[in-house]
Amino acid sequence: MEEAQDVTPQTPVNKTDAAPKAQSKDTRNTGPGRLLIAVYAVFAISATARAGYQILTKFNEAPLAYLLSAFAALVYVVATISLARPGRTWFKVSVAAVLVELIGVVVVGALSIFDSVNFPHETVWSLFGRGYAFVPLLLPILGLVWLYRRRPSVNSPSAGSRSA
Amino acid sequence: MDAYFYIILAVGLLSTIICAVAGIMNKAPNDATILSVAAVELALLVYLVGSIVRVSSGEQMAGEPWEFWGYLITALILPVGAVYWSILERTRWSNFVLAAVGVTALVMAARMNQIWY
Repeated sequence: MEEAQDVTPQTPVNKTDAAPKAQSKDTRNTGPGRLLIAVYAVFAISATARAGYQILTKFNEAPLAYLLSAFAALVYVVATISLARPGRTWFKVSVAAVLVELIGVVVVGALSIFDSVNFPHETVWSLFGRGYAFVPLLLPILGLVWLYRRRPSVNSPSAGSRSA
Repeated sequence: MDAYFYIILAVGLLSTIICAVAGIMNKAPNDATILSVAAVELALLVYLVGSIVRVSSGEQMAGEPWEFWGYLITALILPVGAVYWSILERTRWSNFVLAAVGVTALVMAARMNQIWY
């Protein structure tokens, strides 16, 4: 039911940047959000492939790092899907995924510097994502900015129309 | 780094610049930006055909073959997906999505070169 007020999640109705803001704030897949989702999708694919490869071929070398790789991949997949979906629930999922990503990249980035034995520089988040031009560090920050700008407002009609 | 990489480097950078400039100028995806991404796809197809020829003529790659082919197939899907998505919403932001294709393709081509040699 929560998708009722937005019947066009991925259709080409939004011709300009201004239109979607006027219509509904409960989607995040238009305008800059599309670029964000595209970059997240690329990371979801590459992180999943990389983690799958690491776990299948050399899991015993650094189990912790490779499990973290898999976890990072999962976070990117969840972030990609939730950002592309309309509705309040998906907004919350997006915020959670992007926050976990931010914490992950900061914590793993720091650990990979101070404890390089358990973190042999082979996850997306190692060294704050240096292997990926620091995009993994930048992405959650831009994600949070975008989510904040597109947050479902408390007194908007979408809050009432959800139950209607 | 071989010629395939440098072709993709040149075409990818050019495509990224064209698409990013179009996005900055607040244009919707047009012939120039979509064709530039099509050129990236073409460069990747050349890499694909060239690699098939090299493997079938007995050349061995240094890294894991399936990792190489995984990268190549994923890279081939990206321009198609980005163009499809850019047609769905014709705003400046779709040009930035298209701009991301060239950079991603050249990063992946660099990785493919590392695997091969």
